[in-house]
Amino acid sequence: MAQADDLIHQPLRLKIMAALYAEREGEPPEFSRLKAITQATDGNLGSHLTALEKAGYVEILKDHVGKRPRTRAAVTATGAKAFRGHVAYLRELVEGID
Amino acid sequence: MVLSKTEAAAALADIQETTRRGATLRGYRIGGPIMMLWSVIWMLGYLSMGLLPSHQWGWVWLVLDTIGAVGSIVLARPADRATKASVGRSGGQSLKMIGGMAVAIVFVMSTFYVLRPTDPNAYLAFPGLMVGAIYAAAGVFVAGRYLGIGAVMFALTLVGFYAFPETLAFWMASASVAMFVSGVWLARA
Repeated sequence: MAQADDLIHQPLRLKIMAALYAEREGEPPEFSRLKAITQATDGNLGSHLTALEKAGYVEILKDHVGKRPRTRAAVTATGAKAFRGHVAYLRELVEGID
Repeated sequence: MVLSKTEAAAALADIQETTRRGATLRGYRIGGPIMMLWSVIWMLGYLSMGLLPSHQWGWVWLVLDTIGAVGSIVLARPADRATKASVGRSGGQSLKMIGGMAVAIVFVMSTFYVLRPTDPNAYLAFPGLMVGAIYAAAGVFVAGRYLGIGAVMFALTLVGFYAFPETLAFWMASASVAMFVSGVWLARA
């Protein structure tokens, strides 16, 4: 049986991981776009991204576009695996599989 | 950590909603440049209709529509890649786009053929009304921002038809600015 991931299960972190997982093959989303997708506040999003980064689930990418600083986030291979595992756990629970 | 079935179902619903919202925003960002491209095509097409004799309109639109279709396919490529990454297979966005455009063109041509309008302004206004209606329907069923864009296009076409019948082609050409601004609005989502 798949295992729950305590770190990912927190509601906003779950949304962050879902958003980044869906974008994993494309251009990593900018902070502002991630905020729009997850409907989080700046402070909340920043703190939860930091928690996910410390766990190695998310990579924060900082660069400049012209003179404008840009912060983007991408899911790591470890994060993608953890997210898949957590989703499998949730599905098994809903479907009543032991 | 032990979760109840209800909590697990709520978490899965959250994931689904987040993924849907992300896809909608991605769709806006891809649709924005496509709309900007079509606003230029729209402007050139209607300017041509205002300046050239009516027997040349068909060729002008054929060339412009071809450029628009090719450009749209190129601009939609990121959507195809993203869909493939998300669901593991191609979304066929380019094919869907070509199919949609073909349906619209055939519908407009057939309508003109069946109804045979005697007022030349009907030929100018009908595509604007139809495109406005298509966008509005997309807004109702898929992505909300298109509802506003469709309503504006629909309203601008009607205003031009009734208020500026003598210069409708040029009115429609200038209305493409609204389309371009809409494209920018989508691209910044």
